[in-house]
Amino acid sequence: MKPLQIPIEHKTLGNGLRVVVAPDSTAPVVTVGVYYKIGFRLEPQGRSGFAHLFEHMMFQGSENAPKMQHIKLVNSSGGVLNGSTMYDVTNYFEAVPSNALERVLWLEADRMRALKVDDENLRNQRDVVKEEVRVNVMNQPYGGFPWLDMPPVAFRNWANAHNFYGDFADLDAASLADVQTFFRTYYIPNNAVLLILGDVNLAEGFALADKHFGDIPAGPPPKFADPSEPKQTQERRGDVIEKFGTLPAMAIGYVMPPRRTPEWCAMGLLDQALHGGRAGRLYRELVLEKQIAVEADGGIDDVFVYDGPTQMTTRIFHKPEISSEDTLAAFDEIVREVQGKGITPSELDQLKVKWRSDYFATLEGGRGGHMPKYGLMHLLAGFTLFDGEPQLVNTILDGFLAVTKEQVLAAAQDYLLPQNRAIVFRKPVEKSAQEAA
Amino acid sequence: MATQVQRTAKSIPELSAEREVRWPKRTKTKLANGLDIILLESHTIPKFHGELYLRSGNAAAAARGTALAEMAATMVRTGTAKHTSREIEEQLRGLGADLSVSAGQDNSAISFAGLSDHAEPLLQLVNELAREAAFPAGEFERERRQRLEEVKLERTQPGFLAGERLRKVLFGSHPYAQVSPSEEQVAAYTREELQSVYRDFYTPENAILILVGDFDPATMQKAAERVFGDWSGRKPATPESTKPPVLKGRRVYLVDLPASVQTQILCGCHAITRKHPDWIKLGLTNSLYGGAFNSRLVMNIREDKGYTYSPRSGVNPLRQYGYFSVSAAVRNDVVAASLTEIFYEIDKLRSLPVPEAELLDAQNYLTGVFSMGLATQSGLLSQISTLALNELPDDYLETYREKVRALKPEDVLTAARTYFDSANMQIVVVGDRKQIESQAELFGEVGIYDARGNRQN
Repeated sequence: MKPLQIPIEHKTLGNGLRVVVAPDSTAPVVTVGVYYKIGFRLEPQGRSGFAHLFEHMMFQGSENAPKMQHIKLVNSSGGVLNGSTMYDVTNYFEAVPSNALERVLWLEADRMRALKVDDENLRNQRDVVKEEVRVNVMNQPYGGFPWLDMPPVAFRNWANAHNFYGDFADLDAASLADVQTFFRTYYIPNNAVLLILGDVNLAEGFALADKHFGDIPAGPPPKFADPSEPKQTQERRGDVIEKFGTLPAMAIGYVMPPRRTPEWCAMGLLDQALHGGRAGRLYRELVLEKQIAVEADGGIDDVFVYDGPTQMTTRIFHKPEISSEDTLAAFDEIVREVQGKGITPSELDQLKVKWRSDYFATLEGGRGGHMPKYGLMHLLAGFTLFDGEPQLVNTILDGFLAVTKEQVLAAAQDYLLPQNRAIVFRKPVEKSAQEAA
Repeated sequence: MATQVQRTAKSIPELSAEREVRWPKRTKTKLANGLDIILLESHTIPKFHGELYLRSGNAAAAARGTALAEMAATMVRTGTAKHTSREIEEQLRGLGADLSVSAGQDNSAISFAGLSDHAEPLLQLVNELAREAAFPAGEFERERRQRLEEVKLERTQPGFLAGERLRKVLFGSHPYAQVSPSEEQVAAYTREELQSVYRDFYTPENAILILVGDFDPATMQKAAERVFGDWSGRKPATPESTKPPVLKGRRVYLVDLPASVQTQILCGCHAITRKHPDWIKLGLTNSLYGGAFNSRLVMNIREDKGYTYSPRSGVNPLRQYGYFSVSAAVRNDVVAASLTEIFYEIDKLRSLPVPEAELLDAQNYLTGVFSMGLATQSGLLSQISTLALNELPDDYLETYREKVRALKPEDVLTAARTYFDSANMQIVVVGDRKQIESQAELFGEVGIYDARGNRQN
């Protein structure tokens, strides 16, 4: 097994913008990403959903590229683009034929320099975002389960517990002044990383980065709210009504250890043991063997890129004729089994092979079918913003491959505890009530 | 902070010289048993991706029952003559592999990916699944129950209901109208009928094996021959099917979902398959209309009016017939306004030649996105699969870009007039009847359905 040797270089410009270049000439395609260290976790109180609404505003016009120009220029260069808002970061990314690299860097620099938007743009995108929430959450069976259901049950700090898509009243209250303040506070070069991956050479990548981003003024380092949670002493539970689906569902979330600790690596493999597809213990026991559930899956939310309380979460959709209590008891039995006996050496070997294979898939992983190297970009961004070490992409795997079965056992005993978990029950409305509606 | 030197480039940088797009060489062979094998190297990660396609799907089994190929596919991994379900799953994990078995209207497929250093054992497992699936009785009952729950859930999803209704309207008594089974149909499935579908469809004469990834093609070819060489079986007969109806005039089909907070719109008309000589022309026309972020429809009803989050249009190429469709999930009070804009943009493309600059932008978009498939193993696999399953010419990848670039505004005008059949477009709306029926009536006679597909008026 050869060690990973993805070529990566990293520099910091005078204004504090970190730049990471990872050349690979396999295809004449280059992927560019800009990550800002602000996500929905730390958006302003009273402005739930603002980080995401703001992400939409970044496509509405900047200093020299008015509304629609951004999208038009990328598409007409033969490329695709998008952005997304996550817990602790927001990203903007393009994949284009490599002859459009400079154009894309110019565009990203232009909107890092100055946003040029008006009230009409804000009204328009507020409407678009509301339809996004309706199509993804309010008008879908199990919409928002459990990513929107879990935070208010699991957490006490507003940062972790609020509605990340946003209450409509908060979206309506957002003003253009809020947009500009948010931009000035967080969208500064010293709070961002620029990533250039694919068909680019190192010297060219850094020179173009400096040419287009070098003169954007730095800002005062943002003051971030504290996302830490008060100590949890007992299990937390909550109910959410399911309006469309007929299967009762539950999500069980355990708070994870800090990133880049041996416990974190052990939890990664424990997650694989529990949730690793149809061979995972939960699917095998609950769906295949005991046939209590129709679906059982789960995982660790964005395992490499988080900067605050995060969970390993299981989702179970169970048969209506089996009670939630009995389903949970069956789940707990699986947890007790791994806490008592741990995992076998041959199971651990299999988990590591699968983990390695999944990691490679993550690195190459596209997005929407057309975004080569999205996964590599995402990991590089996280390791740069949170650790200052993009090279971790080449070595992070080693920690997982070194985990022992004793460490997996310890992780199960130390972290899969009632006082470390929260449970959301998604309960279908009564059939009679549904038909009368 | 230091004084900033103002050296901002106000003008958009020009594109630099394009680097050549070079598609990797393919190795194509046919074994004595009829199995087609296509191999392609891609060394981006130490893995490989594969598909074992069977050129028969739900449509070929339609005379026997609805979505039988799909249910048979679900059963394939649940046990073989040699291994139990659990052994199969643990073997896959130990090889670092992902595997799924699926079926659509035209094909069934075993799709897989794994580490290059465990390639041959994974091929052996794929071979075992393709030849020796045992359809264990207990597994069948469990999978059937799961399928029953999926089928119930689908009927609460606006996107599914819209797609199903449109297919029923466009395809009438042709098998393509059967999108998903009813609960009663699932309850009536038998192991024996699924096994007979499996025996008929999963044969080497009916199969294509495509492998893309980090391997030496000569070594991989030998491995594939060792593993699949002694498989035998004939190609199944292709059943005759009725022609889809010819639809005249716009009609509206309203699927009533009481208390819906949004309305799913889906409009469609018959178009062409991928083998048709106009396919590329229509692809470019679709891209201008609603196939890209920068397209007219998205700019109009999203970026200008804010009616919707994700409007799009597409050409759906099934093997025998293709159809064009436009979709948008919109606010309840702008259903009529959205439909008006959808037709306005269609009629505009049918009436006026597209400006040269806009055409060039769309040509660049299509050709650029096409070559992104080169950058990943899964991207290459998907491009090669399209070629193989549609029996497109060998040089399709190499010549696609120049064909797109040769198109003129009059080609787009002709394609829009021929295939964006505005006057005969069928309109599906899924939402709360009370809030949207009066808006729907403005566009044609309205048929009302419930979520189970029963006509209500």
